[in-house]
Amino acid sequence: MATGTTDPRIDLLQGTLDMLILRTLLFGPAHGHTIAHAIEKNSSEVLQVEHGSLYPALHRLVRQGLIAAKDGLSENNRKAKFYSLTAKGRKKLTAEASKWERFTRAVAGIMNPAGGESQP
Amino acid sequence: MNFWRRRDQSLNEEIQDYLDRQTAENLAAGMPPTDARAAALRKLGNAGLVKENTRAAWGWMWLERLWQDVSHGARMFAKNPGFSAIAVLSIAIGTGANCAMFSAVDALLLRPLPVPRPSEVLSVRSRFNMGYFSHYHLSYRDYLDVRDRSRSFQGLAAYSPLVTAFVADPSATPGDAVPKVLIGALATGNFFQVLEVQPELGRTFRLEEDQVRSRDAVVVLGHNLWEREFASDPSVLGRRVRINGTEFTVIGVAPATFTGLDPFVRLEFFVPTMMWPQLNTDSAQNPLEDRNLHLMAVRGRLQPGVSLAEAGSEVGNIGRSLEQAYPESNRNVQMVVNTEFQTRIEEGPSLGVFSILATILAVAVLLVSCANLAGLLLSRTPVRAREIALRLAVGAPRTRLLRQLLTENLLLAAAGALLGLAVGAGIIRLLQQIQFPSDLPFNLHFSFDGRVLVFSLVVALSSVFIFGLIPAFETMRSDLAESIKNSGAAATDRRRLWGRNALVSAQVGVALVLLTIAVSVYHTFDQGYGSGPGYRTDHLLLMSFDPSLVHYGPEKISQFYENLSDGARKVPGVKSVALTTTVPMNLILHDTATIVPEGYRAPLGGDGEENIQTHWGARVDENYFSTMALAITRGRGFRRTDDAGAPLVAIVNRALADHYWPGEDPVGKRFRRDGHDGPWVEIVGVTPTTKYILPIESGTPYVYLPMRQNPGTRMTLIVESIGDPTVLAAPLREMVSRLDRTQPIYDVMTMEHFYDANAVRMGHVSTSLIGGMGLAGMLLSMVGLYGLVTYSANRRTREIGIRMAVGADPPAVLRMILRQGFWLATFGVALGLIASRVMDASLRAAFPWAIITDVSVHVVVVPILLLVTLVAAYIPARRASRVNPTVALRHE
Repeated sequence: MATGTTDPRIDLLQGTLDMLILRTLLFGPAHGHTIAHAIEKNSSEVLQVEHGSLYPALHRLVRQGLIAAKDGLSENNRKAKFYSLTAKGRKKLTAEASKWERFTRAVAGIMNPAGGESQP
Repeated sequence: MNFWRRRDQSLNEEIQDYLDRQTAENLAAGMPPTDARAAALRKLGNAGLVKENTRAAWGWMWLERLWQDVSHGARMFAKNPGFSAIAVLSIAIGTGANCAMFSAVDALLLRPLPVPRPSEVLSVRSRFNMGYFSHYHLSYRDYLDVRDRSRSFQGLAAYSPLVTAFVADPSATPGDAVPKVLIGALATGNFFQVLEVQPELGRTFRLEEDQVRSRDAVVVLGHNLWEREFASDPSVLGRRVRINGTEFTVIGVAPATFTGLDPFVRLEFFVPTMMWPQLNTDSAQNPLEDRNLHLMAVRGRLQPGVSLAEAGSEVGNIGRSLEQAYPESNRNVQMVVNTEFQTRIEEGPSLGVFSILATILAVAVLLVSCANLAGLLLSRTPVRAREIALRLAVGAPRTRLLRQLLTENLLLAAAGALLGLAVGAGIIRLLQQIQFPSDLPFNLHFSFDGRVLVFSLVVALSSVFIFGLIPAFETMRSDLAESIKNSGAAATDRRRLWGRNALVSAQVGVALVLLTIAVSVYHTFDQGYGSGPGYRTDHLLLMSFDPSLVHYGPEKISQFYENLSDGARKVPGVKSVALTTTVPMNLILHDTATIVPEGYRAPLGGDGEENIQTHWGARVDENYFSTMALAITRGRGFRRTDDAGAPLVAIVNRALADHYWPGEDPVGKRFRRDGHDGPWVEIVGVTPTTKYILPIESGTPYVYLPMRQNPGTRMTLIVESIGDPTVLAAPLREMVSRLDRTQPIYDVMTMEHFYDANAVRMGHVSTSLIGGMGLAGMLLSMVGLYGLVTYSANRRTREIGIRMAVGADPPAVLRMILRQGFWLATFGVALGLIASRVMDASLRAAFPWAIITDVSVHVVVVPILLLVTLVAAYIPARRASRVNPTVALRHE
């Protein structure tokens, strides 16, 4: 998966996938496919989620009790798994979001010191 | 397993669902149907990997992998039953030896006190020298002073074991209430409180119950006594028992775990020290006041924040101020604070020596078996290297393979440890045969408990891990391409082979040391038994008495013993009767005599008291020597007329005579009894040196004093029978009860039984144990050499083939292979000889009399070991020499 310098898409940072999944589920229960597409679409297709990596992350979050899985029927009447946010997951998301905000602000402060005079 | 399958199925469905949706989307976006599915699969990534990673997220992966490793390992071992059996057996022998060793050392030395937080309990002891023997207990007065002046301890408690006559039901008629002889303890009021022992029933002492002399006759029963004499009846509280003639009220029962603080004696009950005047059987003694009577063992727990050294210096200062205040009694009496371990070593220095010896033996066996294991695993390296190289080539991570090798080692360790525990349990059962034949609660409790179990498992696991890791790394390091190409014949790694050679040589060396010790011990015991004890052990019945327990005064005691021997002589079937304070081979209660020999200067000058010597001894009547069939080789035996009014006399053995008056006639020589101011005693006779404490001792000096001049209270009646001595027990008991219905009788047994239990069985156990270790060491080193020669012969198969193809005959090949084994064995034997000489010197220093290793032992051991190791090398060498050259060259 070569990512050239001109490729506008970027790989996900370690650990951010979990946060993005939680954020996506804030809108309501969804299944794996939907979540993958939601992340791609909402980031204007900049964030590249390898769809395969979504499933281990989902199962890990279930094990941690941050999301819950429920078997249901999809629109075409197939068995499908719906994931939804738990109370614990909601709390975790709030904490992660504020951490992320502080992180990005700190990084931005270093990258653009004194009010955004950036190097060309 | 259903759960797993359902889970897997659900994951498959989930992935399938994703693919369906993505395909549908792609179709909707206008892709041709053939591409839509492929694009969806691409988008997902490697489906197999996705599933695998998801399964890993379940957190059960490690278990699954473990199961894979275990089953793979089990298959590997099942395919090589010879290898597995030898490896497991090696671990089992090493573990078993250490399991038994730990059990023995634990019983002798290490087992913690049966109280909460036992490591906190320290002892305060006094030290003063009295010839051979040192004394460590405090007098009651000294204890009070230390307790009241010291600030280092939360509390100091003291106790003193006491042999007593105990009647469980004083209301019964005297005839039914024959007292039992038991060991109980006088204990201070704070005893249970300081030790933090909670009663199982009722309560323990109140502090005020130990403040007024002779007022509070209360007793806390030991659990064992409560069970035995009161059938664990909870209504025992408030009942009365009679101890040494005084009635006591039962206030509580100690828990089953608490049997007192002495490792080898079970205390049966506890009474306050203030009741001492009632229990004391020697009216001349006043233990509560006399600072010369060192009878109290003192224990306490430190205040928080106080160190052992601080407490020690404080107690030392108190001791010095007591020396100044009471020079009469306390001169040269130092006071120290010891840990429990120091205390035990001090009380039984030979236990420490035995423990070190046992540990050395067990560790040696362990090392040999570990070396074996390492050798075995290394010899499998080339075989495994191919398999592992193959797996590495198809992408297995190295850590995963290393983990699998470790799992296999663990599997070996588990099997070996299980078998080892069985071996250990067997040895412990053997050890348990050692019992002291007495009614008194002396015990040596070898047990197979949790501590032993944990120790054995740690030994097994750590040895397998340490010795298994080396070969595992070796295997992992192997060169991929080279390993797949051939079976390692070309890549002869000299360094690796050198390590294995050293391992096998060391093994042979250790085996030689073990065998030498085993043969020496066997030799020593064999000589000890071969020469016999030196006195009769057949046709003798023993019966022990202590009339002071029922408050006989000194005169009444002498009269009782007079009547006793007269009465016994009249019993039909009795040939002769004798009295003694000590029966030979009594390891526990052996009489001593302190003497100052005339004209003898101890070789090393000291403080002028070095001439006071304490020796083992016995106080006997005039019939003792004839009844025990001991000859008087010079002078005369004791006579009835050697009584209190006559000049003091003694009989000594040859060893004592030769020690103090070498080359002179000891008859007519004199010594002072009990010290520099003691009365003169003249030696009137000499007996041969026999065995007194252990069957393997030699030349122990021994003193006999006539009992009429040196009356004792506790004596053993020795009855020589015409026929079977056991049938005399009943008529003799009857005779005693006619003399006094309340007289306690204990330890009724034949001399044969007593001798067998004290001397023979102990020797039997020791020789089987040590001999077993020697044999184990030899077998293990045989296996080691066999393994090494097989390994190197296999590596050289091609070379052998070429040699034979160009004309070497099988005997030449045999010699070539055998030569390697021969050099290794010879080198190992040389190593072992040096080691055993070094060992021997240190043993001799520690055990003055026990082990004789002379050159004759090596003359026996060295050829045996060489022969055995050569046989071990011969078998694989012969196999190699019979290789068919065409087969060998086609080996690839």
